[in-house]
Amino acid sequence: MFSTAGFCLISGAPDSRRMNSLPPPSRPPLRSVLLMSRKRTILGLDPQKLIKYFFGSNASVAIIVLVLIMVFLLREGIDFLPTYQRELQTYRRAGLEFCDIIDQPLQRNQALSSSLRQAVSASLETLSKPARDRRDAAFLLKRQVEDKTVQQRESLTQALEKTPPAPEQIEVFRRELGETSVAAAKALVYPAFFSAAESEQLQREFAALTPEVTDLPPLLQTLVAEFSAKDREARTKFAALVQAQEEFEEATEPLQEVVDELKAKALETKEKAVEFEVLETNRQRLLEAAATETDPKEKASLTKEAEESVSEAVNLKESIKEITGRTAELREQVEKYAVVIEKAAAVLPKEAGTGAARKLVNEVREGIPEHAREMRAAAATLEGWRWDKPVSIFSVIGAFFFGTQWITNSSWQDFFGFVPLLSGSLVIAAIAILIATPVSVVAAIYTNQFASEREKELIKPVIEFIQAIPSVVLGFIGISLVGNLIKDVSEWGWLQWVPGFPIQERLNMFNAGCLLAFMAVPTMFSLSEDALNNVPRAYIDASDALGATKLQTVFRVIVPAGISGILSAILLGLGRVVGETMVVLLVAGNRIAIPDFSAGPGVIFQPAHTLTGIIAQELGEVSRGSSHWQALFMVGIVLFAISLLVNWCARAVARRFEPHKA
Amino acid sequence: MNPAPTNDNPFAGDNSGIQQRETAARWALRVGSYIVVLITLAIMLHIFVKGAPVVFQAKWPFVNTQFLTELPATLHVIEDQQGNHIETDVNGADAVKKKLGEDFRAEKTISYSGGGILGPIVGTALLVVVSVGVALFLGVACAIYLSEYAKHGKFLEMVRLAILNLAGVPSVVFGLFGLGAFVLTAPTFVDVPAERSVFSIPLGFTTLSFEGWDTCVLSGGFTLAFVILPVIITASEQCLQAVPQGFRETSMALGATRWQTIRYSVLPFATPGILTSSILGIARAAGETAPIMFTAALAFKDKLPWQKDLPPLPADASIFAHWEQSVSRFLGIFTESVQALPYHIYTLAAKIPQNEYAERAQYGSVFVFLVLVASLAASSVLLRKRLRAKYRW
Repeated sequence: MFSTAGFCLISGAPDSRRMNSLPPPSRPPLRSVLLMSRKRTILGLDPQKLIKYFFGSNASVAIIVLVLIMVFLLREGIDFLPTYQRELQTYRRAGLEFCDIIDQPLQRNQALSSSLRQAVSASLETLSKPARDRRDAAFLLKRQVEDKTVQQRESLTQALEKTPPAPEQIEVFRRELGETSVAAAKALVYPAFFSAAESEQLQREFAALTPEVTDLPPLLQTLVAEFSAKDREARTKFAALVQAQEEFEEATEPLQEVVDELKAKALETKEKAVEFEVLETNRQRLLEAAATETDPKEKASLTKEAEESVSEAVNLKESIKEITGRTAELREQVEKYAVVIEKAAAVLPKEAGTGAARKLVNEVREGIPEHAREMRAAAATLEGWRWDKPVSIFSVIGAFFFGTQWITNSSWQDFFGFVPLLSGSLVIAAIAILIATPVSVVAAIYTNQFASEREKELIKPVIEFIQAIPSVVLGFIGISLVGNLIKDVSEWGWLQWVPGFPIQERLNMFNAGCLLAFMAVPTMFSLSEDALNNVPRAYIDASDALGATKLQTVFRVIVPAGISGILSAILLGLGRVVGETMVVLLVAGNRIAIPDFSAGPGVIFQPAHTLTGIIAQELGEVSRGSSHWQALFMVGIVLFAISLLVNWCARAVARRFEPHKA
Repeated sequence: MNPAPTNDNPFAGDNSGIQQRETAARWALRVGSYIVVLITLAIMLHIFVKGAPVVFQAKWPFVNTQFLTELPATLHVIEDQQGNHIETDVNGADAVKKKLGEDFRAEKTISYSGGGILGPIVGTALLVVVSVGVALFLGVACAIYLSEYAKHGKFLEMVRLAILNLAGVPSVVFGLFGLGAFVLTAPTFVDVPAERSVFSIPLGFTTLSFEGWDTCVLSGGFTLAFVILPVIITASEQCLQAVPQGFRETSMALGATRWQTIRYSVLPFATPGILTSSILGIARAAGETAPIMFTAALAFKDKLPWQKDLPPLPADASIFAHWEQSVSRFLGIFTESVQALPYHIYTLAAKIPQNEYAERAQYGSVFVFLVLVASLAASSVLLRKRLRAKYRW
């Protein structure tokens, strides 16, 4: 009973065409004819349905593309982990890792000795600087004269070399050269530290310069001698420092020698192992081809080729013994080295020529014991090192995500560490967001709450227009305009209190951050403005009615009510900034290293590389399927994940602080 | 004993600084917003001042036709003994050197900076046509579904989420996707499948092989199409939604089917809006660099895409063979890799040593590029305004 009723209800649904499958006999024929005429079908399907499915399938394109992006990124990139695992395995088995245990901390030595060198040269300069300046200035002036007379000089040289010589031509050229030299020497500006007599003599000497005479003019010779005398004097005065520096530099030599020998051996082993691996995979491929081949003749030839290509496996165990066998020697050398440098630290004089030099020397004195400790600790771990310890997949994941080195095309070992790129990306994004947020929120508040209609019509289109500026154009602006601007500003005297000023590199993270901020402004501006627009009118009215001023209404009612939209606007701006490629590729300076955070806030003026930039820069140059290629796709996967995460966060924020709907 | 005259009006404004603070804050906000405007205008002005002299000239025809109609080439700068600089191309260099004879002093070559930028302009135009064609088809269909057919539910939510996420995917990731999907995997008809083919379906006379299209306009265009797809979908859906509900109801009430309603009562009113909004998509597609880096763009190419090198035909070749070659040349507009303006700018700015000649080429290209993109964006904005005024319901 019920089921019948249900059936009746369903068949009596608004779709009346279904009813004429069971036409009641009493119906007039016209109606059924009219309704029948519509009932065309294609492949048994209603055309209306087909049209709907057509549009529906197009709508699913967005989902399909998103899935396809994931699929293709994973297809090219997911093999990275096993490949990198194999590479790290070889790195360990061939003994490269063993060498790096000592070699890595030894790098510190270079930093320390360069500090010492700086200190020494600064100290020496206290005495020899005036003499050196005079010498250098004289040589510079000579160069200027020579530059001005280069054409005449060339002509004269050519004439002199000509056979047979043409004396009258030489004479003409000689006179010309003499005239231009005199003029050039006269036009020079002689620095004040040359006395009037000296200036005059220099001028005379420069005017008499000819291409045949290679000896220096007498006064220049005097200046050179003056400088070397001063330099000797300075070296005797700071003898202790100079000697300590030399000793420190020499201390590393025996150890470095041993390490270099081991490194050469390890590298040889590694190359053999890699070669063997290539041959082996090639052989496997031949065998596979032979297995699927149907033609017996072809099959035989393939099998034969495969058998011929069998190469001798590298005996890793034997070759690693040659390396580990010298552990004791290596430890002994490290110990010796540590003792020597500690001694050098002890005899490092307290005195140095200048305050800066003293500071450097002190730093070195403090750094050396730590360095020695590190070296001893490294030497101690040598014993525990096992060549055949397997590299687990987790340590590979760790080596990728927490690795601090991104080194490619290296003759030693490629490392794909993620941290240098990520830190560059994050610092740049942070700078960009810190600049863009106040600007765009302020602009949004002003346009939404204070601006007159005419101002709105100016501000809104201009800001929206920024969106249409291609990123590569902004990158170009960063190179050609902003970089020079920042560099010039950083050299202004009264701005020297700013950390990092004057800056070294025109292209740096701050520059990229500024441009990215500019790019992010339109996104953040329009979304924030929407958020402010969506604040219920009643809130504003209520605030007005309570006697709040405009400013109070804006900052205590409207902005807090729209905060969710503003926050999600900032997050979406962040997504845009992290994912931007061309600006950072052109402007960020592309130095693959973790920014030196010990420089304090001045770190933002260092160059860096980014996640997006590295893909754009390196992918064009690597072969498909290599570990480098896969590593770049891994970076792409991470970027994709970051973009999804940022989007998800923005939505979550927008939901969480959803304004209390009026 | 008179009360102080200032306080007798209880409703008078309290002048204890609130007014000043209000005004100060208002001015601070105003300055903040105008900074952005000023920076934008300054950048535009800078490019205009540096770029316009490259593209325009003082004498007839006032436009540097060479710059706009020639392919990029290596610039040779020859200096004579008097210090004059003569600019010429690779063919002219020898003649100039011969003419100077003894007077010749030095020669400098600057890659990519000579000639003009016709190649990049053509390449960008082709990429834009392909990408906008694909994106408009997919995007408008998707928007029609979202606006006219979709009912609330899981599928709709997923589609919306996917569109949102697609809009946030970094452009370089699209480049990787295009490389993996179109350059290396997309299906194509070949006689013998390449080794990298994922799988192939023999069809008798030919083979459908999933081995990719290589770097070409088609790969780049499809990649760009997915970059601008979210823009087009969102814009089209807004235009469809703007058509009053009454139009649809009237049509349905007269007995039209859903498709007839869409075809005759919705689309005609939404199409102008969809087209103007998709101009923004064009501007975006023209401006993207990262997606075409690995899929379509070349740093240098001395031919236009339809000037493909083909083996010369024998004298007695049939008309059919000639026809086949012409078709193959014509198809070059899809199957050849091209230069593109943004990639050309990148090459000029990052890959060659900087000097005055390179700078001239840079600013010229940037100026032309920006004028193209900006006029597209501006026309979109203006047309939308006019449309809004026209269709006011």
